[in-house]
Amino acid sequence: MSGPATTPHADPSAQAQTDELRLVVARVLLVGVALSAALVLAGLLASLAVGWNGSLVGAAPGGDPTDVGALAEGLRNLRPQAIAQLGLLTLILTPMTRVAASLVLFAIERDRTYVVVSAIVLAILLTGLLVIR
Amino acid sequence: MTPGADLALFGISVLAGIIGALAGVGGGILVIPALTTIFGVDIHLAIGASIVSIIATSSGAAVAYVRDRLTNLRVGMFLEVATSTGAVGGALAAAVVAPQLLYVLLAAVLGLSVLQQVSRLGEELPPEVVPSRAAASLRLASSYPDQRLGREVPYAARRVGLGFVMMLVAGFLSGLLGIGSGVLKVLAMDGVMRLPMKVSTATSNFMIGVTAAASAGIYLGRGDVDARLAAPVALGVLAGALLGSRILVRLRNRQVRLIFVPIMVVVALQMLAKGLGLHVAFLG
Repeated sequence: MSGPATTPHADPSAQAQTDELRLVVARVLLVGVALSAALVLAGLLASLAVGWNGSLVGAAPGGDPTDVGALAEGLRNLRPQAIAQLGLLTLILTPMTRVAASLVLFAIERDRTYVVVSAIVLAILLTGLLVIR
Repeated sequence: MTPGADLALFGISVLAGIIGALAGVGGGILVIPALTTIFGVDIHLAIGASIVSIIATSSGAAVAYVRDRLTNLRVGMFLEVATSTGAVGGALAAAVVAPQLLYVLLAAVLGLSVLQQVSRLGEELPPEVVPSRAAASLRLASSYPDQRLGREVPYAARRVGLGFVMMLVAGFLSGLLGIGSGVLKVLAMDGVMRLPMKVSTATSNFMIGVTAAASAGIYLGRGDVDARLAAPVALGVLAGALLGSRILVRLRNRQVRLIFVPIMVVVALQMLAKGLGLHVAFLG
């Protein structure tokens, strides 16, 4: 059925490791998307009740959660916009977590090439999130 | 935004998600035209909302593909070096490029998607591929279970360098326009590297999340990911894409997808007109 050149997993232990990587990657993506969708939905529903800049605990209307400090302040006052923004941040962090998890698994496998590959991708993602404006 | 506007944004995004899933293109390339033309949203805010929606839909869809062993994780991770680098460049360029050019490029990518849909009616397996040296040292060869053929299909990759360069371009356009650029990613893997179509599609989906996250971080930092717009849009596109994929598996004939080609042509012409400054109203 297949030529020797394209036989995919000659080593059964390599196959088992790849299967574990698949399970972890799928789990991270599923949990990340579900968690962020729940937060964004909670923020959206709350906004219908008290408005985007309102507060579920009755605090005075506040500004936009544009930086980490304002986001934390907004979350303390349960502002709909801050809750939804946290959900969006969670969404952006989901693929990053997936890459970080792959890096760890490749490291456990002692797969040097792909440790380097995952580290480069993670570095680019973190640079985009934290450094570049 | 008023609750009414929220609901309208959500509804339009659901529609974009459904049509995107049925037509085989991402939701982003349809939601940006909808936001800018129907709601008059600033294109940078529309891109910011679209790019986070794309992370949600592609990551959601990737779960099943990864579990079913259709995704090639090594090919994906390796090529993500190129797509995320390109995406950072694209997001940087978006700040300085004239909005008119963004509209024209959106129209061009949408046109390319239409061409791909029309030409890609038969799904066939690539002929036996002799892996190149780069592909062998990166261990890109693998196999996937093909449900229709009822067997495990082994495959290899070639022309890795050219594929990598195409992924730089795909990443750049993704970061610049706030779209997944799945069309270019599939073209690079299926057309250039000769991976099977199903593996290319699944791996493209897997890569889109990371590519989008690279530029989304930059858009977020600039304040272009505004929850008041992005929340209803992301939830809507996600819900629409889930619904669309349910509808799609019930459709017996994949050629039904072609029904949506005219819609995409109209949207592409609308974007082109907007980019060229012509005041022609096809929609809204």
